[in-house]
Amino acid sequence: MSDVIALSGLAKSFHGHLGIGRTVAVAGLDLAVRPGEIFGLLGPNGAGKTTTLKMMLGLLRPDAGTVRLFGLPPTDLAARKRLGFLPENPYFYDYLTPVEFLDLYGRLHGIEAPERKHRIAAALAKVGLAGRESTQLRKFSKGMVQRLGLAQAIQHDPELVILDEPMSGLDPVGRREVRDLILSLRAAGRTVFFSSHILQDAEMLCDRVAIVFKGRLVASGHLDDLVPREARWIELSFRGAAPSGIDGEVRQNPDGTALAKLPDVAALTRALNALAGAKAEILSVWPRRETLEDLFLREIERARERERVS
Amino acid sequence: MRAVVAIALNTFREAIRDRILYLILAFAIGLIALARFVSLLTVGSEVKIIKDLGLSAISIFGLLATTFVGVSLLFKEIERRTVLTMLAQPVRRWQFVAGKYAGLLLVLGSLVSVTGLALLAAVALKGESPVSLVPAILMIMVELALIAAFAVLFSAFTNPILAAVGTVATYVAGHLSWSFDLLEKRVDSASGKLLCRALHVVLPNLDRLDVKAAAVHGVPLAPGYLPLATAYGLGYASVVVVLACVVFERREFV
Amino acid sequence: MRRLAPILALLFACTCTWGARAGLVRMDSARKGEKELLYLPNGKYLKAISLGHAPLVADLIYLWAIQYYSDYERADRYRYVEHVFGDVVAELDPRYLDPYWLGALILTVEAHELDRGLKLLDEGFANNPQQWILPYLAGWECDHAGQYERAVGYFERAAAVPGAPAALLRLEAGMTARSGDLRGALKRWQAVLDNPRGDEEARAIAQRQIRGLTVQADLAQLTAAIEAFARREGHRPRSLHDLVSAGLVPELPLDPDGNPYAYDPATGEVSSPASRVLGS
Repeated sequence: MSDVIALSGLAKSFHGHLGIGRTVAVAGLDLAVRPGEIFGLLGPNGAGKTTTLKMMLGLLRPDAGTVRLFGLPPTDLAARKRLGFLPENPYFYDYLTPVEFLDLYGRLHGIEAPERKHRIAAALAKVGLAGRESTQLRKFSKGMVQRLGLAQAIQHDPELVILDEPMSGLDPVGRREVRDLILSLRAAGRTVFFSSHILQDAEMLCDRVAIVFKGRLVASGHLDDLVPREARWIELSFRGAAPSGIDGEVRQNPDGTALAKLPDVAALTRALNALAGAKAEILSVWPRRETLEDLFLREIERARERERVS
Repeated sequence: MRAVVAIALNTFREAIRDRILYLILAFAIGLIALARFVSLLTVGSEVKIIKDLGLSAISIFGLLATTFVGVSLLFKEIERRTVLTMLAQPVRRWQFVAGKYAGLLLVLGSLVSVTGLALLAAVALKGESPVSLVPAILMIMVELALIAAFAVLFSAFTNPILAAVGTVATYVAGHLSWSFDLLEKRVDSASGKLLCRALHVVLPNLDRLDVKAAAVHGVPLAPGYLPLATAYGLGYASVVVVLACVVFERREFV
Repeated sequence: MRRLAPILALLFACTCTWGARAGLVRMDSARKGEKELLYLPNGKYLKAISLGHAPLVADLIYLWAIQYYSDYERADRYRYVEHVFGDVVAELDPRYLDPYWLGALILTVEAHELDRGLKLLDEGFANNPQQWILPYLAGWECDHAGQYERAVGYFERAAAVPGAPAALLRLEAGMTARSGDLRGALKRWQAVLDNPRGDEEARAIAQRQIRGLTVQADLAQLTAAIEAFARREGHRPRSLHDLVSAGLVPELPLDPDGNPYAYDPATGEVSSPASRVLGS
């Protein structure tokens, strides 16, 4: 099966006011998204995620490189017909009702009238907005607007759903619901591509990720490959001075507690014995696997190093 | 084509619920009602005052509505990112612009119809046949369609304040087109003459769309004048809308 | 105390404003006697800045002018009439008829300046050659002023407008008679009689007028001959036949009924029973 999304050598920079100065938003990005997977584009704010997304949709023209959706350029209507999009912090028409709003988008996708009604009802139910069909959008809260945006993105049952920061501004309940929605899309065989700076969500959802920093790709691949499931180290926190016999880094905190980073279970057992002998108070034992955040911070630091050197 | 219609109807729906339109409508009808009283001050024909005030009210409030609504149309979409979801749809950019323009025309048409009917009623109540005013009201609509095209063009690439200024400036320049014709004769240099001629031909000549005086005095127009003037106005408007589509096509959404 | 302060401030501001306004009103009434200058830009300039709303601006200025000219205490009232009605309003909307005749009315009836008023009506007619009402009004103004010959000219112009009522021809003829040109009047009444568009009533009136004018003309002719005879011979003729023998009249005219005119040698008066019927 060919890639649903294929970005190759994508680059974009913006000129400053009056042509003075140039900001590089994206510098040579390569990406491929396979059908049926959840792909996360991750990075801090200003990394170029939204710019990449806009280039993917034809809202911006890349300075270099190509974008292919289903093998077609984004300017081809056939490609856009098969996808659904939700931008960051969406805002919709003040005076329309959800039904009128979804009806418009349904028409643009060429869905006939009776079919539209079904789909609108189904989409609203799926995002939890059933019962609000006739409320004008200006009365919607931010969370409700986000949900309506999701409804708009999925109502025509697209093969590919592209979401820009879908969890932004939502409360924990809302975030859970969005997560569930994305998972259900994958279960139905759809492909989901989303960008986020909240790494915990990506960890829970994604099959593959790409991490970008200052417009460049710093890491990409399967989540399992990048952050293996086994525990990498064990954290032991205790009160008091560190006795000898602990082979691992120990960090003393100003409040009298200390944190030891031990490489494996054997080292843990030795450290516990040493502490028992010193009659130190053990606060917690926590087997840590490397999280995406750890990877992220490490790669960012590495990228910064590279910049400093060059 | 159905995309254009869908967007047009939506634009109409959205704009017609904006309360500012009702304010403008209320002012226009209020002015027409006021005309009945103002006409009591005159010596001689009272109906003329009502007709003049009424037609000018429809024209000026129409211009206000065109500027306010037309300029904010595209700006609101871009500012509030509704344009992003819209353009991610299987819709071409020119269809979006054309749909917005058509929706704006629907709004203006409604406004002119309501105020026009109010004026015809006011004149009929005075005992005179208001039929001669109908061509003038239609030509006001043609003029507004042309100004609306400029409003859409300007708002495709600049902020609403500049777009509003540009739209009003076009209205003023359009009514002063005759002055370039005069200037051409007065200016000495050949390049100056060429510039005046170019401006006179290129700028929309809104006086050609103005038949208010003839309508009020009941003077019949030359046969074929109305169709020609309408063709001029609508033709010019289409050129401007096409230009707006081109500008929008090239635009990047940062 | 906190609530009092804004109220006091408001009261103070209102009082100041009211006092200033009263002072300005007093100044206004003191200025009444001065000659006022009117700064009204000319019509062409106003037309340019009206941006397609020239007829409305014409209306507004006309309405203002009506209020302006209702103030009879205004010094030098008539200075700007032609400017306001003729230059400004007429330039903005040349087909607007009311200002022409209202301005002319002000000038002829109130200022007693017939020529200025006629100029306005002439301008109006030049801009609106289909409107016979303007020379018609001009004709009546001349009549009021006693200038009958001028009146005749205006009625002629009014009658010449295609679509003008046929009654204007009668006015023309009647005014010609009043101006003393009996022959001209007879010609015109004949034209009324011969007019294919005229109705029965018009023809009847014409016939009566022709009768009366013929008698008048005959009587005038005979009276003049009698006086000439008296001057020549030193005494009045004994009968009208003497005039014929003296060669002062080629033959004796008969009145419209075919009867000879009566002559009273004692008084030297000629009369006709026909004139009594008419009462003209």
